Amino acid sequence: MVAPLVEFRSVVKRFDDFVAVERVNFTIEAGEFVAIMGPSGCGKTTTLRMLAGLEAPSEGEVLMEGRVMNDVPAHERDTPLVWQSLALFPFLNARENVEFGLQMRGVEAAERRRRALEWLDRMEIAEFAERDIASLSGGQKQRVALARSLVIEPRILLLDEPLSALDANLVIRMQSVLTKLQRELGITFVYVTHSQSEAFAMADRVVIMSRGHIAQIGSPKDIYRAPANRFVAEFVGRNNIITGTVSKATAKAVTIDGSLGSFTVDLGQHEKPQKGDTARFVVAADLAQISTAKPRRGSAIACSLISEEFIGSVVTLFLEAEDGSELKVQLQERELSKMDLKSAATIYLSWASDQAHYIGAD
Amino acid sequence: MSDSTPAKAASSAARQSSVFKLTFRLPIIIWQSLFFIGPLCFMVAMSFFIVRNYRMQEDFVMKNWLKMLGRDYFWDSYFLTWGLAGIGTVVTMLVAFPAAYTLAFKVSETVRRWAIFMLIIPFFTSYLVRIFSWYVILAESGVINAGLSYLGLGPFVMLNTKFGTVVGYMTLTLPLVIILQTFALANIDKSLVEAAFNLGCRPFRTIYRVILPMARTGLIIAAVFCFILSFGDFVSPYYLGGSKPPTLPILIVDTVKSGQQWPRAAVVAVVMMVTLFVVAFAGIMAAYRRRVG
Repeated sequence: MVAPLVEFRSVVKRFDDFVAVERVNFTIEAGEFVAIMGPSGCGKTTTLRMLAGLEAPSEGEVLMEGRVMNDVPAHERDTPLVWQSLALFPFLNARENVEFGLQMRGVEAAERRRRALEWLDRMEIAEFAERDIASLSGGQKQRVALARSLVIEPRILLLDEPLSALDANLVIRMQSVLTKLQRELGITFVYVTHSQSEAFAMADRVVIMSRGHIAQIGSPKDIYRAPANRFVAEFVGRNNIITGTVSKATAKAVTIDGSLGSFTVDLGQHEKPQKGDTARFVVAADLAQISTAKPRRGSAIACSLISEEFIGSVVTLFLEAEDGSELKVQLQERELSKMDLKSAATIYLSWASDQAHYIGAD
Repeated sequence: MSDSTPAKAASSAARQSSVFKLTFRLPIIIWQSLFFIGPLCFMVAMSFFIVRNYRMQEDFVMKNWLKMLGRDYFWDSYFLTWGLAGIGTVVTMLVAFPAAYTLAFKVSETVRRWAIFMLIIPFFTSYLVRIFSWYVILAESGVINAGLSYLGLGPFVMLNTKFGTVVGYMTLTLPLVIILQTFALANIDKSLVEAAFNLGCRPFRTIYRVILPMARTGLIIAAVFCFILSFGDFVSPYYLGGSKPPTLPILIVDTVKSGQQWPRAAVVAVVMMVTLFVVAFAGIMAAYRRRVG
């Protein structure tokens, strides 16, 4: 059996009293585009830095191709990292920055120059080769940083929120540059971000972290449509999380009673809960429907409209249920224009029974 | 007519604000003129005066300049002072660097703050007093030689030598240079150092590939300060270096003492000022030059 490119085995990282990463296990296969996503302080950057050898694990092992890397210093690893700040050397010009890693590997000057220019050309910034870093724009610096990391022909590239300093249009452009590069080179990208749109747009697989733990690993679609727990459901997308107590449970479905009413939800892969347990389920805002008349079949919650948020063709409505909890629904603008919500006293939020997703107690 | 009123108001406001700015600038302008530019001009003028019967008289003669610059002993002093201050600066910078590196990169913020505080403490006592305390340590019957004699070594002569002078210079400059170097290094973006590691740069190589270029401005300023303080120092070469052969500050005192030759002492002082101006200017230019090679 071939060892995975990267493996974390119950890795713990402590800084004095603070536990940044707590018993993390996961593997990354060669050629994958993996995004590690989570709110700030969740341990995603620390995880990435342990992979680069810039932090040493307090416990557990980090392996690359089956080899334990814990004691291999950063400068002996081929794990180039693109920093959030880019960390380009201001005292070197663009070409010299790209040459740096080659120089450290003892590549002779002419060859170094040739390969650096080749990469700058590939990143479409060849004309800025002899420019000072300070005179480049944000997007150009980004490309220099990528060229500097990729010129050493690594098998893995680490990226720590590299797009967070760019404006929205440029982010979209760079996303396509990155996915294209990753596909062409066939190497592994590990991309740390707090942005769901970046992670979902680029990654094959997403690792969601919360307070040093892994909350869920899966494809963007899995995570979006089938959040494993409350944290993921809240962090990802616009989800309505409905809480209650289990009043009836069979092997396939469970009935949950709460302040919003009584609802029956498919269990999916989950174990059958006990009667009286707390349980939750999720209705994604874009899978929910609204109507001004109470639907004859299925579950519905009576609400009133609080506000709407208009983003191009998609509108998000914020609703308040009778118990005061806030619910969201997302729909196309043209669908909304057919409805007369202003004059309706009550709006009913409903969903098809197979679109409620059970997430258990936590 | 009516549109001239706002214009007038604007110009009077501008005048008011320029008066306001001037009140803040005036004290420093007055101070600098009275106690720096004035005396400096007087000193330059004095270097052309003559001394008759131990009395200085206003004049404009080149005699003092020709006498001083034509003598070998002046140039011996000049290059001795350069050499000692230069060696002192190089040694101080080298000794300070590992300490500053440790304070900037290896210790916590709290330790760094305490260390900076400790490095300020030497300035509480007079420099002269600190120099005298070296007698106890460096004398032939002093602490070091006593220690060495147990090992069957020595005694070594350390007082009244160039070594003594450099030790004295370092007493003056080392704490300041460590502080300046620490600030220069602590301001380096740590991610640049990590980026160098990340790209395969060994830790030792990182010092001259990344840390020195990044800290260049601060390090050059530290060296310039160190050189200026050493070059103009009278106390160390006089008390620890034995005053013979004299450095330029000692030469100034000697020239004044022997026959009230204030104008000739002024020549030495002007030469020193010019030298330090050139060194400081070259240092600042090098410090703020945009790129190296």
